[in-house]
Amino acid sequence: WSLVSRVPDQIKEPLSAESSVYLLFFLVCFCSTTKYGILTFLPRFLYEQIRRAANAFFLFIALMQQIPDVSPTGRYTTLVPLIFILTVAGIKEIIEDYKRHKADNTVNKKKTTVLRNGAWQTIIWKQVAVGDIVKVTNGQHLPADMVIVSSSEPQAMCYIETSNLDGETNLKIRQGLPLTTGFQTLEDLMALSGRLECEGPNRHLYDFTGTLRLENQNPAPLGPDQVLLRGAQLRNTQWVVGIVVYTGHDSKLMQNSTKAPLKRSNVERVTNMQILVLFGILLVMALVSSVGAAIWNREHTEDACWYLSRAGDISTNFAYNLLTFIILYNNLIPISLLVTLEVVKFTQALFINWDVEMYYSETDTPAMARTSNLNEELGQVKYLFSDKTGTLTCNVMHFKKCTIAGITYGHFPDLDCDRSMEDFSNLPSNSNNSTEFDDPTLIQNIEKDHPTSPQICEFLTMMAVCHTVVPEREENQIIYQASSPDEGALVKGAKGLGFVFTARTPHSVIIEAVSVYVYIFGDKSYFLQCSELIFIATRATLTAHCSSLGDSLRKENELALIIDGQTLKYALSFELRQAFLDLALSCKAVICCRVSPLQKSEIVDMVKKHVKAITLAIGDGANDVGMIQTAHVGVGISGNEGMQATNSSDYSIAQFSYLEKLLLVHGAWSYNRVTKCILYCFYKNVVLYIIELWFAFVNGFSGQILFERWCIGLYNVIFTALPPFTLGIFDRPCSQQNMLRFPQLYRITQNAEGFNTKVFWGHCINALIHSIILFWFPLKMLEHDSPFSNGQGNDYLFAGNMVYTYVVVTVCLKAGMETTAWTRFSHLAVWGSMALWMVFFAVYSAIWPTIPIAPDMLGQAGRVMQCWHFWLGLVLVPTACLLKDVAWTATRRTVRKSLLEEVQELEARAVDPGAAVLRDASGRSLNERAHLLTRVFRKTPSSVGRSNSVQQTVSHGYAFSQEEHGVVSQSQVVRSYDTTRQRPSL
Amino acid sequence: MIAAMMASSYNAKEEDGHHSGSSSHGGAGAVKSKKPDNTAFKQQRLPAWQPILTAGTVLPAFFVIGLIFIPIGIGLYVTSNNIKEFEVDYTGVDINSPCYSCAKNFSWNSTQSCVCSVNFTLEQPFESNVFMYYGLSNFYQNHRRYVKSRDDSQLNGDLSALMNPSKECEPYRTNDGLPIAPCGAIANSLFNDTLDLYYVDSNSTKTPIPLAKKGIAWWTDKHVKFRNPSGNTNLTVTFQGTTKPVNWRKPVYELDPSEADNNGFINEDFIVWMRTAALPTFRKLYRIIQKKSGTTPTLPSGRYILDITYNYPVLSFDGRKRMILSTISWMGGKNPFLGIAYITVGSICFFLGVVLLIIHHKYDTRNNSADIPN
Repeated sequence: WSLVSRVPDQIKEPLSAESSVYLLFFLVCFCSTTKYGILTFLPRFLYEQIRRAANAFFLFIALMQQIPDVSPTGRYTTLVPLIFILTVAGIKEIIEDYKRHKADNTVNKKKTTVLRNGAWQTIIWKQVAVGDIVKVTNGQHLPADMVIVSSSEPQAMCYIETSNLDGETNLKIRQGLPLTTGFQTLEDLMALSGRLECEGPNRHLYDFTGTLRLENQNPAPLGPDQVLLRGAQLRNTQWVVGIVVYTGHDSKLMQNSTKAPLKRSNVERVTNMQILVLFGILLVMALVSSVGAAIWNREHTEDACWYLSRAGDISTNFAYNLLTFIILYNNLIPISLLVTLEVVKFTQALFINWDVEMYYSETDTPAMARTSNLNEELGQVKYLFSDKTGTLTCNVMHFKKCTIAGITYGHFPDLDCDRSMEDFSNLPSNSNNSTEFDDPTLIQNIEKDHPTSPQICEFLTMMAVCHTVVPEREENQIIYQASSPDEGALVKGAKGLGFVFTARTPHSVIIEAVSVYVYIFGDKSYFLQCSELIFIATRATLTAHCSSLGDSLRKENELALIIDGQTLKYALSFELRQAFLDLALSCKAVICCRVSPLQKSEIVDMVKKHVKAITLAIGDGANDVGMIQTAHVGVGISGNEGMQATNSSDYSIAQFSYLEKLLLVHGAWSYNRVTKCILYCFYKNVVLYIIELWFAFVNGFSGQILFERWCIGLYNVIFTALPPFTLGIFDRPCSQQNMLRFPQLYRITQNAEGFNTKVFWGHCINALIHSIILFWFPLKMLEHDSPFSNGQGNDYLFAGNMVYTYVVVTVCLKAGMETTAWTRFSHLAVWGSMALWMVFFAVYSAIWPTIPIAPDMLGQAGRVMQCWHFWLGLVLVPTACLLKDVAWTATRRTVRKSLLEEVQELEARAVDPGAAVLRDASGRSLNERAHLLTRVFRKTPSSVGRSNSVQQTVSHGYAFSQEEHGVVSQSQVVRSYDTTRQRPSL
Repeated sequence: MIAAMMASSYNAKEEDGHHSGSSSHGGAGAVKSKKPDNTAFKQQRLPAWQPILTAGTVLPAFFVIGLIFIPIGIGLYVTSNNIKEFEVDYTGVDINSPCYSCAKNFSWNSTQSCVCSVNFTLEQPFESNVFMYYGLSNFYQNHRRYVKSRDDSQLNGDLSALMNPSKECEPYRTNDGLPIAPCGAIANSLFNDTLDLYYVDSNSTKTPIPLAKKGIAWWTDKHVKFRNPSGNTNLTVTFQGTTKPVNWRKPVYELDPSEADNNGFINEDFIVWMRTAALPTFRKLYRIIQKKSGTTPTLPSGRYILDITYNYPVLSFDGRKRMILSTISWMGGKNPFLGIAYITVGSICFFLGVVLLIIHHKYDTRNNSADIPN
């Protein structure tokens, strides 16, 4: 059976409810969205990891180390850290997969009613099998794709909401075959028997072909209108009975739910580029060292250097030496960078999910980072593409104001101009201020027989009847199922004014008011225009605008461009594309009306390709999916219009207003953190491993390491592992409130001021200088080989351990310098890492020969710590390294202070927010920036306003009118609707 | 069986109770609120210390560091300068030098030791304990081939390693089919010049100066890292079945004929040699001249003779051999580097402090006056 079902157009199944149960038991509805199984985990995971260039490189190094006599650091010093790192990545994967398992379980454990053994049984979704006859009642989700047999509605009609599938919240009508309409009772259904043929599982939501062959009946064709899809919700229908055709992964929903597209962030691209460059440098270093070795070997022949014992071995072979040096310098590329970044971004994504200010209590929806790859991209967005109506209005509309016969009714509450201009996050709360139209003069005018009274009545009547709203009664409460929010708002408005729309029959609508009217709906008429003409006109307009802009073309002007879909079609044509783009980029805002989903993504794509800037698209509907997937970052509104946008987005938020925090706070922070983390990882690796190069100059380019092999191996995974995490997770340049109050701060991250080639090389050169100090200071300190008060000598490893300790201390302190906000975790990481090394050092120096490892370390810690040079150097060397950094930072900060730094200073200094306000009130004339800064403490946190705004009513937009390929047209549906009739129950 | 990985969890989740408000929803039990916890950690409001580095704030630190470092540096420099050190190169490169012929006529096969004497004069007396070092130059003890060529298990007295040394020791692992003890290039190249010091008093009498050879190796080396195989009873028996390193004149258990428990792997000269140096020019502790009780200096000023049994060839690789006499302070031998470094860094600190002060006056004050109301 399962085989057959996978061959298109071949599936056949008996319709006997009894027989189907056992026949298809193996095709259960178990549905797994997880990436790994228990058995498949290891091979799959390893494959995924090794595919990444960096991991492959380290694996290569690990393999090369197995060649005897080549590796300067032993055989396992790369393998073990690599395994450690893969383990961490694996744990992260397991956690993520476990979450998916849990989510699957909640779905798979949901209950539904199935006809089995001659009775209705409640089973969990997992157990639903193909061929089952399932009963679904109003409001329930459908457990599988099924063909309608019968329903409570006439002609086996039923209404479903498919927002989970396509994002459209309008009710859709599905209708069973007339053939089966009669099978309503249990007995009828038991008697039902026959065959059902259908095509194999596919992802086309709007296609279905099949044939129903009932016994003793002619075969009847089945189309998409007879199919109820898994994930849809039954609405306005008491019950429906259907035969399951696809379950689990065969269902259209699962076939459609693809992974969020894999996008890579800009920072990641730059980082990969720099890894490549660093790899090039590594090769150059290895090459230089090998050449050095060749020269050295020529000058120090075997005969001369009789003590070296190189006779006949490979140390004079250039190729082997090259390999040795590649292994020696391999950690110039930070082995832990990838996994560090993964964990950091994962945590950042958690912070986005955890943000209580982006949680919308009304729909119980927290923000959701569906991918953590793009966190830092959120901090770089330059162009924002937003879906207009639904997204901006949250699909919540209220009747507020009207003009009848020249008289304006309804007053608009005075907008707090300052506020609305300052941040758009407060807009929803504004709309909340007056949910209802309240202007008594309107009613008074009717009652007092104002000259315009008939017009008012006419107006209100029109409002109450000209629509496609369906009233549903629930205990004396009328609930309007509105096709679109604006219709609903109008009908509600009319209701509030006494024109209550109560019922609808196929031929009339009933309103409780002065009288009953029957209105017949008219069709919209369309203009058909000559396309050639529009094209010419479009071109003319575009060129005219472009030329009038002159010099300011492609610069931001205080202009807005409005273009409609029709015109856009021509503007996006190959010929006019460039002109349109130029014009669009010259404007502060571009509004495109009535555009198709394809056009939306086309515009995004155009900007993405032609302007080197990060784009963000935000939308809530299925029609936004294209642009959400095209843009660098896609944000979906997980609100009223279903899940399609959310499912294809990278981030989902419940309200448009949360975008502000997502970008200005999370985006900017993530960018800052990620870039700091990356730069720091590179820095610390360069510092340590360039030292090996300096050492090569004095050891005859032999590839000898200055440190103990495992100390190097564990450098990245233990001793300096924590600071990158705290930088990447907890650092924050300034507080959330100030990030929101100064959108200007976003420009820093937007323009990639914190991470570009210049900054990267700056860090590398700084690391180079540090490594010189860190290597030569201790070696010069020990040059006389007599650092103890008892005259005893030291060895190379003694110097190495001193250098290593200084490196760890310096590198940790450098992390501290990079940290702008020292949380307790920062302290833990900075001081903890140093302590960790010291403890490890002490323990490691005492284990041989008890544990047969590291004989050369024996007694080192004790001797190092007895040495006064060590302690004096511990103060001197890190100071000497960081002196320059501190002085440079302080000077730059003082001479050319950025806005960010000014905000930080104010934040740090003005503990009492009132002080800044007082200063402002004292009337001192302040420059613009200072004025700007006084706002730091003036405004109440925007979160206060926001939390008030969550009391909006949840109303789904039911856009009957938008269904285009339904079995029945929208007008037919609405007309055939008789809300006064009772529906049959099962 | 049906294992697919396409869908993300989010679909599955959203299928669940989006309309949880509706009463007819017969779904999977109570829906827990997804509201995130309002904790300082999750809301990223952890208390944090925000240090701000401006010229004004780091200024004092720079001056303080400068003011602390410079005196420390001066102290260290003076300490180092007070250490008396005397160095004599006895390689014998120059035709006039006493060891010229020994150096010139060196042969690996000669059984005859070549002895030469170097005369020198100490201008000043060495008061406290004096430490005698030998120094080698252009000797790459830090070469990878060299450093790894040892077997620490063998040196630790492991019997199986004694008879079957590690492969790292190649080509000094076996000789004539017998395992070498101690194996490896480091051991093979053990420094084997003998240095004897004589004081020549005003009557031209040569008084030998007692050279102590105990206490020149690290305690852990002498007692933990280096052990003779199976106790210390009869080393000749213990080392039976092994052979001496190729370059050695005598086996490891006869390194010190004068003192029985200074033989085998725990010979201190050997242990000192086995700690390989970091730089190609290095020195190693050779002997200690204990301070005599009383007021007489350990080494009074005057003429001395250094007798060298010249066994160690360095001219082939253009190396140098030195003998160094040095007193020791609390921080070791004479090395002015740390002092100079402290003074330099301190001075730079101070200088930067001054620069920052100027910057601070030029820029920082202006901002402050704008911010602080009067």
